[in-house]
Amino acid sequence: MEEIVLGIGITALAGALATVAGAAEDTESDIGSQGDPNSQVQLAPQMGYIHRIFNKAVSGEPPAYGLWCAIGAGVAWAFLQLNYNPALAIILGSIVAVFIQGIYCTSGYLGRTASLAKFKQPVYIDILKSLTSVTMAHAFVAIFCTTAVCYLMSAALHHPFALPLLGLIWGIALGAAGSASGNPFYGKERQYQNQKFGAGVPISASGNIVRYAEAGQRSSLDNGWFTTKFAGPASGICFGLIVFLELWRTVLFEESLAGWGAVIAGIVLILIFTFIDRWIEVWGRKTYGPYTEPEESSS
Amino acid sequence: MSALGGKAAGGDGINMTGTIVGIVIILVSIGITAVLGASLIVPLIGIIIGGALIAFGVHFVPVGGAPAAMGQAPGIATGVAMLAAGAGLAGLFGGAWAYETTGDFLISIIGGAVGGGLMMAITCLMVNATYVFAMGIPAASGKIAKDPITGDTFPEYKSQGTEGHGLPFISFVGGVIGGLIAGLGGTIIYIELLDAYSTGLATIMQAEATAIQPLAISLAGIFAIGFFLVNAVLAAYNITGTIEGPHDPKFKRVPRAVIGCAVASAFCGLISLLLVTNIGM
Amino acid sequence: MTAKMEASEGKMPHNKLMTYGLVIAVVGTYLTYLNVLTGVAVFSFFGGIAAVAALWWGSDTIKHLCSYGLGTGVPSAGMIAFGSGAIAMIVGTKFGIASPIVTVILAAILGAVIGYTANNIINMNIPVMIMSLMELAVVGAMTMLGFAAMATGSFEFNQLIIGSMSLSVESAGVAAGGAQTFLVTAIPQYGNSLIGGAALAVIFFLGALALQHPFNACLGPNESQDRTLMLALSCGFLSMIVVAIISFVFIGLLAGTISLIISLIAWFYCYKTYIDLSKRDAYAWLDSKPIIEVGGDQ
Repeated sequence: MEEIVLGIGITALAGALATVAGAAEDTESDIGSQGDPNSQVQLAPQMGYIHRIFNKAVSGEPPAYGLWCAIGAGVAWAFLQLNYNPALAIILGSIVAVFIQGIYCTSGYLGRTASLAKFKQPVYIDILKSLTSVTMAHAFVAIFCTTAVCYLMSAALHHPFALPLLGLIWGIALGAAGSASGNPFYGKERQYQNQKFGAGVPISASGNIVRYAEAGQRSSLDNGWFTTKFAGPASGICFGLIVFLELWRTVLFEESLAGWGAVIAGIVLILIFTFIDRWIEVWGRKTYGPYTEPEESSS
Repeated sequence: MSALGGKAAGGDGINMTGTIVGIVIILVSIGITAVLGASLIVPLIGIIIGGALIAFGVHFVPVGGAPAAMGQAPGIATGVAMLAAGAGLAGLFGGAWAYETTGDFLISIIGGAVGGGLMMAITCLMVNATYVFAMGIPAASGKIAKDPITGDTFPEYKSQGTEGHGLPFISFVGGVIGGLIAGLGGTIIYIELLDAYSTGLATIMQAEATAIQPLAISLAGIFAIGFFLVNAVLAAYNITGTIEGPHDPKFKRVPRAVIGCAVASAFCGLISLLLVTNIGM
Repeated sequence: MTAKMEASEGKMPHNKLMTYGLVIAVVGTYLTYLNVLTGVAVFSFFGGIAAVAALWWGSDTIKHLCSYGLGTGVPSAGMIAFGSGAIAMIVGTKFGIASPIVTVILAAILGAVIGYTANNIINMNIPVMIMSLMELAVVGAMTMLGFAAMATGSFEFNQLIIGSMSLSVESAGVAAGGAQTFLVTAIPQYGNSLIGGAALAVIFFLGALALQHPFNACLGPNESQDRTLMLALSCGFLSMIVVAIISFVFIGLLAGTISLIISLIAWFYCYKTYIDLSKRDAYAWLDSKPIIEVGGDQ
C-alpha cells in the first residue's frame, strides 16, 4: 500500500513537471518558429515579404527535443556515475543541452537566412542577440523538467530503461505532443492574424505572414507572448496527460487482474478520450455552422 | 506538401521484380539465421512481424505536415515519421515496463500497444481542442465528402481555398489505431531482441543472466529505436509526406510499405542477431 | 516532386569528399588503438575526429539525396542513416581489431538493402537512392563508432559494455589452522557502461541531428558548399564536446580534459568561420535595422 501511495505521489509530480515541460517547449518552438510553421517564415521572403521573425530551422520538434533531452539525461547520467547529487547532475545536464540547443538555433537562423540572399532577405543579427537567450531559457525549463521526469521514472518507479534512453524516448514524445497541439495555433492564428478568424488560411495567401506589430515591427518575442495564451498551456496539458496517465495506469493497476489491469485501464482511457473528442467535434460543427449550403458545394 | 501541389512520387502500384527480390531477401535472412542458430528464428520472425506492423501503423496516423499548421490541410501538424516514433516509443516505454513487472509476452505487447494508442488519443484530442476552441475551425476532410464512421458531411464545413482542416472523427480513429499498431510492433521487436540477448549474451559472455540484464535491456532498447526509425522513415517515404488516415487514397499504397519494411527488418534483424552468435569475438 | 530542387553545385566533387571522409574516419578510429599500445587513454579524441570526418562527408551525401524531393523532410534521412548505422556499429564492434573495417562493410550491405527496399519495393525511383543510403549507413555507423571510441577509449565490444569491475568476496571455507580464506573474484558491471547505461543513445541522436542539420539549415537558393560543410564540421565538433563530457566517466580526468579542450577549440574555430561565411553569403548583415520592403502587397 505504501508503495502505491509513493507511486501515486511520484506520478503526480511527474505529470506536473511534464505539464511545465510541454508549455515551455511549445513557447520555445513558437518564439523560434521551429517545426512546421517554419515553412511559412521560409516562404515569406520568396513571396516578397521581408520579415524580422526568428527562422530557427533545427529539424522538426520531435527529433530536436529527442536530442536535447537525450543530452540532458545522458550528461546527467554521466555525472550520476561520478557520484554527483541527482539535482545537480540534472541541472548540469540541462545546461549542456541548452548550450547545444542555442548553438543549433543560431546556426539554423544564419544558414537559412543567408541562403535566401536571392530574395533580398537580410540577416538581422540583433534577432539572434535578443532572442537566442529567450529560447534557451524556455528550452532549459523544458529539458530540465523532462530530464527530471525521466529520473523519477528510473530511480523512483524502477523503469528498466537507463536514464539516457528514457530521455530520448520522452524527448521525442514531448516534441511530438508539443508540435501537434501547438503548431496550428502559432501557424494559423498568429502568423496569419490578417486572415479571417474561424477559417483555414487559403493556399493563395501562403507566405503573406504578419510582419508588423501594433506599433513597429513584429519580433518573435511577440509570438511567444501570444502563443503562451493558448498553445503553450494546451501543449502542456497534452504532454502532462500523456506522462501522467501512462504512469498512473501502470502504477495503480499493474498488479490487478494478473497484469491485465493496466491494459484495461488504458483501453478505458482511450475510449473516454474518443468520446470527448467526438463531443468537441460535434460542438464545433453545431456552433460554427456550415459555411455554405450543403447542396451547392458538395463536389 | 500536397497543398502546394507536389506530385506523389512513384504512383500506387507494386513493383513486381522488387517485391520478388525482397521476398528472396527475407527467405535468405531466415535461412542464414537458421544456420547460425535454430533458437534465433523465432526472434527474427518476431522482428519481421514487428517491422511490418510499424509500417502498417504509420499509414493510419493522420499527418498534415506544414499545411496543417496553417489550417490548409487536415491532420496533425508535424512530420509523419517522428509523430509515429513518438507514439511508438511511448508504447515501447509501457511495454518494456510491463515486461519487467509481469514477464508475460501477451500482456506486454498489448500494454505497449495501449501505451501508443493512449499517446495518440490524447494528442489527437488536443489537436481538435486547439482547432475548435482556439481557432474556431470545425474539422473537415479534404479527401472524402462523408465521414465513413459518423456520416458527417464535410464540403460545407471546409473553408475556402483550403483542402480541409482539423481532425475529423475518422482521422482521430486512424490516429489511435496507428498508435496502437506502431506501439505493438515496437514492443514485439524489443521483447524478441531482449529475450535473444539476455540468454545469448549470458552464454557468450559467460556471465550470470541477472548481471547481463541491464546490458540486454539497453541493447534491445537502442536496437528497437533503430528498427523503429528505419521502418517509420521507410513508411514515410511511401506516404510521401502527408496522409489523412485510413480513408485517404494514399492508404492503398500500404502493401508495398509492409513488404518493404518486412524486407528491411528481416535483414536488419539478421545483422542484429549476429551479436549473439560466435561470429567475431 | 522528382524534379531536382535547387542545391549548389559543389566546388569539391562528391567522390573526393567521400574518399577523404571514409579514409579519415577509418584511420582516426584506428588511431584510438594507440590507447591500447601505449596504455594511456589520451588518444581517445582521435575517435571524435573520425566521427567529424564521417559527418562532414555525410552532410554532402544528404545534400545529394534530398535535392530530389523525398516528400518528407531532410531530418528523416538522418534518422534512417543512424537507425541502420546503430545496428551495424554495435554488431561491428564484436570483431576486435578488425571492427572499423567490418563496421564499414556491414553498414554498406545494410544500407544497400534498405536503399534497394526504398527504391524498388516502395517505388521511390530516385537514381541516387541506393548509393546514398549505403553511404549514409556507413556514415551513421562510423560516426557512432568514432564517438563511442572517443568516449570509452576503445572500439571493441567488451570495452563498450563493461563499465567497471566490482570485487566479490566469498568465504572459501576455513583452512587448516583456523585461518579463514576468501575467494576474491572480479565481476564486471554492465549497467554503467556506454552501451549498458544506454549512453550510446545520446551518441545516436547527437550524430543523427549533426548529420542532417548542415543541409537542413543551409538549404535555399543561395546554399553554398563550403558554408554547408563548415557547418557540418561545426556541428561535428559541437557533438564532440558532449561526448567529451560523457567520456569523463570512462577515460578519466586527464584524457577527458584533453578531448574537451580539443573539441572546444576546433568547434570555436569552425563556428566562427561559419559565421564569417554566412556574412559573406548573406544579402545584408544588419543590426537593429527595420524591415527593408522589396515588394509583396505593400
